[in-house]
Amino acid sequence: MSLYEIRNLAVDIEGHRLVEEVSLTVEPGQCTAIIGASGSGKSLTCLTPFGLTPGIATGSIRLDDIDLVHADAGQLRDARRRLTGFIFQQPLTALTPHLTVGAQLQEATMQAGATRPSRHDLVRQLERVGLSRPAERLDQFPHRLSGGERQRVMIAAAIAHSPKLLIADEPTSALDASLRAEIMDLLDQLRAEQGLGMLLVSHDLASVEGHADQLVVMDRGGVLESGSAAVVIARPAEDYTRRLIAATPRLDEPSPELGEPGDVLLETEDVAVEFQRSGWRRGKIAAVVDAAIMIRQGESLALVGGSGSGKSTLGRAIAGIGPVTKGEIRWQGRALPERRKRGLEMRRMIQPVFQDPVASLDPQWKVIDIVAEPLRNLRPDLTKAERNDMARRALSDVDLTDDFLTRVPASLSGGQAQRVAIARAIIASPQFLVLDEATSALDPLVGAEILALLARLQRENGLSLLFITHDIAAARRLCHRIAVMDDGHIVETGDMQAVIDNPRHSATQRLVAAT
Amino acid sequence: MLKRHFPLLIVLMLVTLALLLPLLLPWNYDQIDWDAVRSPAFSGSHIFGTDEIGRDRLARLAAGTQITLMVAIAAALVSLIVGIAWGATAGWIGGRVDEAMMRIVDGLYALPFMFIVILLMVVFGRSILLVFVGIGLVEWLTMARVVRGQVMALKQRPFILAAEAAGTPSITIILRHILPNIAGVALAYLMLTVPQVVMVESFLSFLGLGVQEPLTSLGILVKEGADDMDMAPLGLLLPGAVLVVILVCLTIEGERLRDRFS
Repeated sequence: MSLYEIRNLAVDIEGHRLVEEVSLTVEPGQCTAIIGASGSGKSLTCLTPFGLTPGIATGSIRLDDIDLVHADAGQLRDARRRLTGFIFQQPLTALTPHLTVGAQLQEATMQAGATRPSRHDLVRQLERVGLSRPAERLDQFPHRLSGGERQRVMIAAAIAHSPKLLIADEPTSALDASLRAEIMDLLDQLRAEQGLGMLLVSHDLASVEGHADQLVVMDRGGVLESGSAAVVIARPAEDYTRRLIAATPRLDEPSPELGEPGDVLLETEDVAVEFQRSGWRRGKIAAVVDAAIMIRQGESLALVGGSGSGKSTLGRAIAGIGPVTKGEIRWQGRALPERRKRGLEMRRMIQPVFQDPVASLDPQWKVIDIVAEPLRNLRPDLTKAERNDMARRALSDVDLTDDFLTRVPASLSGGQAQRVAIARAIIASPQFLVLDEATSALDPLVGAEILALLARLQRENGLSLLFITHDIAAARRLCHRIAVMDDGHIVETGDMQAVIDNPRHSATQRLVAAT
Repeated sequence: MLKRHFPLLIVLMLVTLALLLPLLLPWNYDQIDWDAVRSPAFSGSHIFGTDEIGRDRLARLAAGTQITLMVAIAAALVSLIVGIAWGATAGWIGGRVDEAMMRIVDGLYALPFMFIVILLMVVFGRSILLVFVGIGLVEWLTMARVVRGQVMALKQRPFILAAEAAGTPSITIILRHILPNIAGVALAYLMLTVPQVVMVESFLSFLGLGVQEPLTSLGILVKEGADDMDMAPLGLLLPGAVLVVILVCLTIEGERLRDRFS
């Protein structure tokens, strides 16, 4: 008998039907994963039956012989309290900031009516989720922990009352690639030890592969395909699933065809960036230490590292929008001056694209003004009509129609907004783009389209790209060479395939193993 | 719309009344009716009666409301302009300049501001212009802090970085990217500043430091009413009620706006 069973679930919010005819089961000790793009209704499907969204669920939902659809508020609370544990995407916001780790765990343990746990019990709970120095952690507040540690505390709290079902809504999306694999392995292990059933929600097929037993693919509020995970991935029946699998970059796919690079375009020598520590503390933080990288004409270099490794800081220094403490950045052999002293011509050559596409467009401006903005300053010789013409052409270069010209950023999807940002970056015909996690915030299908777009623009215009990312598999689709950063240092550089086949530094090995 | 912005409608109605009544009434705010000194309400053409020297209460109430709101709006605008200029400069430049500029704001905050306004009045004499400027110069402090915080947050947003990379000069970034994006918040605080200034102006006038006779304001009317409240309670109740209604309504609207933008 299944632990948790949903039959023909529909979810309505304010009279709009957002999810329809969803059926799935979770067996004890097994993991069922729901995969879908944002807006596909996957979170609604897993949270609404427990009354955690404003939606109203209809259909048949049975958890361990409790009928959740017809349950009153008390029974629902009881089902949440005793039988289920929840893990959310943002470990920082999901933990209460003013309670110590120990206090939160104690609360979680006692929620199902258990007696007050001893300190020893709490330490054991933290040990179980693989947290180092558990006794010390109990007295710390959530902000003292790193993202991965917080997520471990969240998991410890979610299983503290020995639930039967664990609901994990994008548990690894906010984490580094190398941490993702660790957290997924931990969840696997707990499932096996305790016979816990797990309902996992993710937009990223790669992160659930090898962990999920059952797979449910959702799109636009409905189930497209479901079945055993291995079968669905090996023989997808639906076109959408096939595209999703094809869009998910992997390390074992055939090497992409890339253009032949030319002469050296940009070099950095011993570039260091330091920040003053905030507040009253003395001293400096070295974000980047003696970084030396080189990029040729028409070449893409992947700058890969975990969060906090200094890769974005180095990228910003090169793009001229962040500070440089010492060292030299050379453009075609000549030293680039510090950012405020760069002339218009220098600024035109290097353009950035950022991670969050919506935040990188001024919410008050129309698309045409956003795209034409660089021309206004970098090409003062053009008239307004010429600028608008070029904006139109830049938009068509990124496959957007003229309808978009008068739209405002709030009305764009993530992928469209990123295309607009790329159009703005290429309109003044730069030679070099700094792409700071340009595909990380997007759904896999959209991210793959943006990667393909970047590859095409590089081929057509001979652009050089600095592709900053934590995802080696995505970088492999676009980049000739790779530089790996760890703790401010560049620890390894080389040809993409050679580094993946034979990673020498431990940071590289971690990243490759996690992908 | 009508239902949601009920408080704003009340204020607008009061403003319209304050503007129209002086044109319709047979009496001027400083005109003395020698035949009807201290007359009760609804006696002859004096709807709310007259004060102790025979001036029509309703006419004076309308004139007082006009002056109070005028001072309030002018002072709020002064605070808006100074506050945005100061806060945006400090937030945009950052570092030591920001430190220094914000410490000046802290210092001014620490001074008993009523005391400064009183000093200004004493040194430069009483004039209605000085009331505008004096209050505005004190009220800009909060605006400067709010604007600075907004600018610092915006400065880190990628679209500002992208504009910098696109070669947009700083002044253009501030005018075209930053100011339009903080307009909403600034407007909300402007709405909250107006009732504050009404309060301060009334207080100053109550102390006899605000506008001068025969000009009047809500504060002066309240003071006059308070002096004579056992004989003619209407003289205190009327301006008091108008003051309370304006303060409450504007504060509700302002807080609503602020919540929407933050």
